Amino acid sequence: MNPKEYKYTQEHEWICPKPENKGKVGLADYAQSQLGDIVFLNLPALGTQVEQGKKMGEVESVKAVSDIFAPVSGQVLEVNQTVIDEPGLVNKDPYGAGWLVRLELSKPSELDALMDSEKYDKFVAELTEGESE
Amino acid sequence: MALLKKTPLNKAHHELRARMTDFAGWQLPIWYTSILEEHRAVRTGAGMFDVSDMGRVWITGKKAGAFLDRLLTKRASRLEIGSSQFCLLCLEDGGILDDLLAYRVETDCFLIVCNASNMEEKLAWLRRWAGSDPDISIEEKTDDTVMVAVQGPAVCQLQNLKGVCHLPRFGVAKTRIEDVEVLAARTGYTGEDGFEIIGDAANALHIWKSFMKQGVKACGLGARDSLRLEAGMLLYGQDMDRSTNPFEAGLRWVVEMDNGDFIGKSALLDIKHQGVKRKLIGFRMTGRGIARPGYKIISCGQEVGKVTSGGYAPTLNANIGFGYVPTELATIGTCIEIMIRNKPVAATVVNRQFYKRGAQNEPQRI
Repeated sequence: MNPKEYKYTQEHEWICPKPENKGKVGLADYAQSQLGDIVFLNLPALGTQVEQGKKMGEVESVKAVSDIFAPVSGQVLEVNQTVIDEPGLVNKDPYGAGWLVRLELSKPSELDALMDSEKYDKFVAELTEGESE
Repeated sequence: MALLKKTPLNKAHHELRARMTDFAGWQLPIWYTSILEEHRAVRTGAGMFDVSDMGRVWITGKKAGAFLDRLLTKRASRLEIGSSQFCLLCLEDGGILDDLLAYRVETDCFLIVCNASNMEEKLAWLRRWAGSDPDISIEEKTDDTVMVAVQGPAVCQLQNLKGVCHLPRFGVAKTRIEDVEVLAARTGYTGEDGFEIIGDAANALHIWKSFMKQGVKACGLGARDSLRLEAGMLLYGQDMDRSTNPFEAGLRWVVEMDNGDFIGKSALLDIKHQGVKRKLIGFRMTGRGIARPGYKIISCGQEVGKVTSGGYAPTLNANIGFGYVPTELATIGTCIEIMIRNKPVAATVVNRQFYKRGAQNEPQRI
């Protein structure tokens, strides 16, 4: 259920590397399920330069506060205003309507450092196993 | 690390695949499906909470009423049989040891339901003042009983509560849920109509499932917190503790200053005469951001206090909170700021009862 064509970080962000070097970024399903109902998003402004692995925003659920990290370096081309007004979209449709920003990749080779969906599925499966009943 | 205590409903929570957390030493559900859904169920229909973590102490004997009069900030001996009241347990210096509900079940039989935190300390306090008086008996039955809060505007439509729907607010009576004997009180911590049901631990699952069958939604600690916050109700250990007095905490209305003596009264009289330096306020964020417990409250660039409770209010679709500020800043309409991740975000002091049931303005759907 994690889309095959996306790439994933260990912090549970995803990036869709298409079209060419411009990609939407969002939070993976596992992240939203752990956070619970998301009620607040703080996203980088249009034009901001973000850096791979560095904090680019915050997400808050009813109970938790968490940072959002940039999956790759680049410039913010677009911010999803709809998700800012309706953060619950991240819970409902994390890989679709719940996307956060669109980035223009400044170092496309950074994508190689991310997990593909197969690796990420395994990564999440291990985390889920570790959860105590 | 001490093992977490489990309520008699622990198995039911796991069956429902609840997300569990540690709360005052108890393993309890934080949510089952979604805090927002659970919150909404209580505001618009009916939801239920396992509140078995709360302390349940029976005080019986010929001097039970007089004993509680001495310990509580409101006279228990004046309560009618089958009624209850919200009051405080204060220390000699006027600090709050707990907030609780005192129920009069029979003439010489009272039940107090208090918070789960610092239970041992409270029991020791009660026993210390009871001494060896044969006419006062103190019996804690938290582990032997289960307590379920069924809350929401639809509670009186539930078949298994029909027998107690005649009870007034704060009324308490013995009744049966299906064939199980319980004590039902028209009390709660959500700002809605509702009941709190106490039964034998052995019948816990039976009681819980009886409500499940009627479509009552299981709700966790997350909704318990967001509901009480909207309703302006304080949480012991967060919004008040032994270093806070009732006047600062806005609990003047539960302290009877002109009626008999109780522990802490003389200190409270002094505090009342001197006036308080700080007060608990309710605030609403006007800038973008969610205030959380521990965040700094700022006025004119200076830290003036701390947020004690805060979060998103689903019914209001707003971000709200409580915190202590100097008395001169506690007036409704005062502009303050909350420091959120090193950035001051604007907020306004408002009436602490953010949500009032049956208010003209219909709850906003989100």
